[in-house]
Amino acid sequence: MKGWLIQHAQVFKQVLSRFSQHKLNTLLICLSIGVTLALPSILYMVLNNLNALVSDVKSESHLSVFLTVGHDETAVQTIKTALENNAMVKSFYYVNKEDALKQLLESNNNNEAISALDGNPLPDAFFVEPKNLDSESISTLKNQLSSMDAIEEVIVDSAWITRLNYLLTLGKKAMFILTGLLGFALIAVIGNTIRMQVLTQRDEIELSQLIGATKSFIRRPFLYAGALYGLTGGVLALTISWLVILFFNQTVKQIALNYHVDFSLNFMSFSLAVTTLAISTAIGWLASYVSISLPKNQA
Amino acid sequence: MITFDHVTKRYPGSNEAITNVSFSIEQGELVYVTGHSGAGKSTLLKLIAAIERPTNGTVLINNQNVSKLKATSLPYIRRMFGLVFQDHKLLYDRNCYHNVALPLAIHGITGIDAAKRIRAALDKVGLLNKEKAMPITLSGGEQQRLAIARAVVCRPSILIADEPTGNLDRNYASDILQLFTAFKQVGVTVVIATHDALGQSNSESQTNYQNKVLHLNQGKLINSEAMV
Repeated sequence: MKGWLIQHAQVFKQVLSRFSQHKLNTLLICLSIGVTLALPSILYMVLNNLNALVSDVKSESHLSVFLTVGHDETAVQTIKTALENNAMVKSFYYVNKEDALKQLLESNNNNEAISALDGNPLPDAFFVEPKNLDSESISTLKNQLSSMDAIEEVIVDSAWITRLNYLLTLGKKAMFILTGLLGFALIAVIGNTIRMQVLTQRDEIELSQLIGATKSFIRRPFLYAGALYGLTGGVLALTISWLVILFFNQTVKQIALNYHVDFSLNFMSFSLAVTTLAISTAIGWLASYVSISLPKNQA
Repeated sequence: MITFDHVTKRYPGSNEAITNVSFSIEQGELVYVTGHSGAGKSTLLKLIAAIERPTNGTVLINNQNVSKLKATSLPYIRRMFGLVFQDHKLLYDRNCYHNVALPLAIHGITGIDAAKRIRAALDKVGLLNKEKAMPITLSGGEQQRLAIARAVVCRPSILIADEPTGNLDRNYASDILQLFTAFKQVGVTVVIATHDALGQSNSESQTNYQNKVLHLNQGKLINSEAMV
């Protein structure tokens, strides 16, 4: 067991010393792996953050039911009862036009413009929170309410969020495809690098075979090199995407401030970062394995 | 130790390199394989070292039939041999020390133990002061001796050398043959392929041992008489 460990440590050292002999080459390969991996991870983080933001807003979504101007009190009562009996409604509250104006005056700085208006232009309104947040049940509820008397308009506040959600799903699908394709590109890049190394070490491989080296002894340094390329590339990818997120956040924070929201892009979770490293290492190993198993390069 | 029984080797797309050869080599023997260039000497050595497998017949190494060995166990039987190649096969991307270290690494020997053995092997061939030199800077004779150091560093029970004195002058050649004789004296089986009679007569004059000669002619064994 100890001998086995020493042997592996030896191979590791050998691979590292080969890397340091070709510093520029190693750097370029690792950088290309890093950039390739950074693209999908940045995309993932942006999508993930938007998704979190959207689901935050979505849970607050409600229907605004505006009544016609000049309706009578009985109409308000009828609607109230209808809403109480509707199974799709989770909760609702009524705001008459006087309260609404008061709220507007409290929340708005431009009071002079509002007080310059003669009369109250605001309608009475119900604010309804639906039980189910999926778009289908929301639109059914909307249709039910719009057909009632004395209701001028029903506005679904979350409609744009639903649309954004679809776009985000599309974005996620695109990200997965991109990740898959770039994964293949990585296998090609690393595989080709390993193939070149096999070629430059042809003499050593042949000699080792003649004097009794096992297949795994000959393959080990190449597999280690591949995995190490992947790991270094993964670390670079995380660094690059971290820098990009930092750079984005300067602007994102300003935009969010404009909307009175405290929002900034979060870096990926620790476990996901570790997963990224594991995947990139695995890709490196796999690429190397594929490369040395091709009949022409058979090591 | 090594037994050939009606062994024939044919490479794809060519004539038989070795035809119906039978002989046996005992432990501690020094055997010369002689014959003209193309007589099949190298093929015979490759068959002994389990690098090639016979087309027909059986090759027994330590009572193991090479033809019946699995591909995965071939490396382990090859480790019994120390090989000196006709073209040295030195690695020019590393110094003498690391050239000799390679077989030890294959055997799983590293660290201080390996360093001791490497220096001992280099010392034996008189290259201890050149351990940091790159092989390309060595003379032909020194390269040959480095190849021998690499072959013996794992203390093989059988030492096989293909034309070890091939393009060396008389003095170097006799130096190297003395080295092989020294290995024989400590019980190592030594098999040397050579096309010149000089090597034999030289060593004959220096030792009183009987050396076996396998003389090949166009792949056939002409005699396997002990030379007195």
